[in-house]
Amino acid sequence: MNGLPQPGLAALVLLPLAGCGLCWVLRAPKRILAVTWLASLLSALAAAPAVWACLHGRALQEAQGWLALDALSAFHLAVMYCVFILSSAYAQIYFNGGLSSGELSLAQIRQFASLWLGSLAALTLTLISNNLGMMWVGMEATTLLTAFLIIVRRSPDALEAMWKYLLICSVGIAFAFIGTLLVAASAKGLVQDPGQLLHWSRLMAAASGLNPKLLKAGFLFVLVGYGTKAGLAPMHSWLPDAHSQAPAPVSAIFSGCMLNAGLYCILRYGALCHALPQLADWSAGLLRLLGLLSISVAAVFILFQNDGKRLLAYSSVEHLGIIALGMGLGTPGIFAALFHTLNHALGKSVGFFCMGRLGQIYGTNDLRRLAGAARREPIWGNGLLLSLLAILGAAPSAVFLSEFLILKAAVEAHRAGVVAVFLAGTCIIFISASRRAIATAWGEPASPARLPGPRAGLAATLLVALPLALLFCLGVWMPGPFRGALERCAAVLNGSR
Amino acid sequence: METGLILSSAGGIAGAALAAPLLSGVINRTKAVFAGRRGQPLLQAYHDIIKLLGKGAVYSRTTTWVFRAGPVIQFSCAALALALLPMGSRPALLAFPGDFICLAGLLALMRFFLMTAALDTGSSFEGMGASREAAFSALAEPVFLLSLAVLARLTGALSLSGMASRLALHPAEGSGPVLALTALALFVVFLAENARVPVDDPNTHLELTMIHEVMALDHGGPDLAFIQYAAQLKLWIMGILVVNALGLGGRGGWACAGGMAALAVLIGIVESTMARLRLLRVPQLMIGAGALSLLALLLTLVRP
Amino acid sequence: MNAWSELILILVILTNLLLVGGNRLTGLIRFAAVQGLLAGLLPLLAHSQALTARLVFLAALAVALKGVAFPLLLGRALREADIRREVEPFVGSEFSIFVGISLLAFSFWLSEWLGIAQAGWLRLMLPVGFFTMMTGLFLIISRHKALTQVLGYLVMENGIFLLGVALVGEVPFIVELGVLLDAFVAVFVMGIAIHHINREFNHMDVHLMARLKE
Repeated sequence: MNGLPQPGLAALVLLPLAGCGLCWVLRAPKRILAVTWLASLLSALAAAPAVWACLHGRALQEAQGWLALDALSAFHLAVMYCVFILSSAYAQIYFNGGLSSGELSLAQIRQFASLWLGSLAALTLTLISNNLGMMWVGMEATTLLTAFLIIVRRSPDALEAMWKYLLICSVGIAFAFIGTLLVAASAKGLVQDPGQLLHWSRLMAAASGLNPKLLKAGFLFVLVGYGTKAGLAPMHSWLPDAHSQAPAPVSAIFSGCMLNAGLYCILRYGALCHALPQLADWSAGLLRLLGLLSISVAAVFILFQNDGKRLLAYSSVEHLGIIALGMGLGTPGIFAALFHTLNHALGKSVGFFCMGRLGQIYGTNDLRRLAGAARREPIWGNGLLLSLLAILGAAPSAVFLSEFLILKAAVEAHRAGVVAVFLAGTCIIFISASRRAIATAWGEPASPARLPGPRAGLAATLLVALPLALLFCLGVWMPGPFRGALERCAAVLNGSR
Repeated sequence: METGLILSSAGGIAGAALAAPLLSGVINRTKAVFAGRRGQPLLQAYHDIIKLLGKGAVYSRTTTWVFRAGPVIQFSCAALALALLPMGSRPALLAFPGDFICLAGLLALMRFFLMTAALDTGSSFEGMGASREAAFSALAEPVFLLSLAVLARLTGALSLSGMASRLALHPAEGSGPVLALTALALFVVFLAENARVPVDDPNTHLELTMIHEVMALDHGGPDLAFIQYAAQLKLWIMGILVVNALGLGGRGGWACAGGMAALAVLIGIVESTMARLRLLRVPQLMIGAGALSLLALLLTLVRP
Repeated sequence: MNAWSELILILVILTNLLLVGGNRLTGLIRFAAVQGLLAGLLPLLAHSQALTARLVFLAALAVALKGVAFPLLLGRALREADIRREVEPFVGSEFSIFVGISLLAFSFWLSEWLGIAQAGWLRLMLPVGFFTMMTGLFLIISRHKALTQVLGYLVMENGIFLLGVALVGEVPFIVELGVLLDAFVAVFVMGIAIHHINREFNHMDVHLMARLKE
């Protein structure tokens, strides 16, 4: 439709699945890992034209409106591809040791690779489907597939984490389905073709005619349901376990993609509520409430957290809370929250990369025993310190900018309580986490490393340095087109009003 | 009320008073058939009562007037309750709004004197039986009242006679499931209050597990006859309530009698096929029955 | 037709109360199976005017999965794990029944509040759906054993199925298939998970899995 030869949106789901099939044909573990990276990269390239067009204000629809891409989903898709490409590249490094020592079997690598690409397909489906029912199917598939990614390496703790994750999130997904049903019921009679009852664009066009009570109930269920997937407090209890037990690349896509996808689903429903005058304030208030709650809960748990991966996990709870808070603060807040989504995804991925590698080298995730890591492992140690500082919101990083914008939105909306809780929570987290990060990087070494760490190569350096450089660049200078894209995303959510 | 109607109601009471012991005969016969025995004669209960009435009573020196008054008061309560009960298509002799609460009160009074008379003997077995009776009937009574409240709500009548006739002649549309639930709850209460099988075993010879029988151990002669006859009347009264809830009672004398006979056979079947519950499980059964009647109440409340 | 559906719905309520109050695992599985059968039959009665092949297929699938396959699988898991002990709930069975009744009252209130005036017995279907869903949730929250929690999830699925039929019954497309997929996959996956857990922990009690906490 726009002249560019572009593959259909359905191809974005099929491509990773094809890669998935390829993994079962290949016999060399290293090649299988390479396929995960290549497939991610290829999908990203295939999606690039469509994403680019949509970020410039176009909107695509395919398959009778079942699949669609607008600025909001294009932005989330772009963030997801960034994280997936980085994480699959990192997976080559991360699993290298296990492969050469024979710890990981071919079957395990195959399981990892196919689940990984399957998750990519499912997440893509979530983001590109215009139909709320299909979106739910995507989230459900994501839950199932990622559950098994946690136990690529079997251990009692990993099984426990997986069980918790599956039980809590399956209930969350069920709640999301009830919410979807209620929203469908609220739109009864508004859409002529019953097959298109749940098409989001149709619902948005007819939003003023939605039954407010059913929509209200539906949004509550959706908020709890997808909120569980997004790791918002108080539904976050699966998150620290799953993040700390999963292999580091998996933790990275959990924090960088899956949580965002959960929140993305909530946003689609939030936009419907926003279109109804009597529900707009109510739904925004709920988002703010959950956001502040998540920030507070994360602050309490980070205060005494010595396990590096759990610290990063709780930090994800905090950041998803910040994003939800921003989403509840009107247009400037939404703009900042979307910006924060990108920043958090990049910073947290690097954090998990470094932490995962250090954990392998030292044989522990206890930050006190990792002391002096920056001297022994300059890349990973310094990477951990810098990424932690970046996601904590140290001044020149983009996280600082996006958090500042959210604070500004809160001040402009005259919400003193929000400002107070937000500042208190982020300050506590900044102080307690940065104290540990600095001690870890530059403290006196407490224990010798388990493995003599192999020299981190050029790939590793790039993997850590590039995202961090991007983060610090975006913190000082935001390009005009990027700002425009974010504004268009925010406009999608504001819909007709 | 016309004289004819009064006479007819009085006739109903007389018939019930005569037929009540037959109920236990039918139950025992059913159990005998199930067990492959010939069983005792159908009229055995009458013989027992006549035999007991002909005997003298022995009173322990430790007992007081409560022990002596107990059987008489129980019998009077049961007889009075009979007057409140509509039988067949006849209204009750005494029918007034709220008489079902009066009925529950009379039955409670009866139970109270059964228990105090048992406690008066000072025997530890009888005290144990009385305490069990108190515990279980405390659970059964709310269920009983709740079930009757459902019937009242469903029919809009506040007297037992009104309920019975409306249930039989003008049942509310689609009220079948609610009535079934209520009848089931009432049936459980019926079993519990009359010391039938899942709660108490009337045939047991082990005092430790008895509830009802153990309370009458020290009574003899006419006193025991009164207690047994009062218990049979109570069985009849609560049976009529169950039959009425099913809408059979108000359809005429024969439907009512047939329903009672079927109920007796049903009890016999239950007693032949089920074992007595552990005492600890009895509250669960009663709470289950309470849940049924609450459910029935909820269903009647949402009915437009 | 009307009376039959109402009867089925009331039987579903009763199975819920039995599930909440019961404490033998085999019995619970049986109740859940009965409930699955009843829930699967309802769409046939709900849309009797248009008994399409698709609807019959849906009902058959629901009955086969919820009423037969899952209970059988769970029963097998029960035998293999060799647990015949009672449920050991966090909440006693007497209190559980009270909770059940309050949930039922709440469901009636909630459906009333939502104010979708529906004709006839469909009015009963919505509260029963909510009630079944909440019963399942309550079982998941209040029971120790992983198996009972899976059972609770199955009950919750039944409730969602009823809700789906009540809310958007005339649009039987992907929504209802989605429920089936979910039920199928969730229990299947959980069944596998139980085996893992059983093997690696030698028990199925989730509360013993408390090592990963602060």
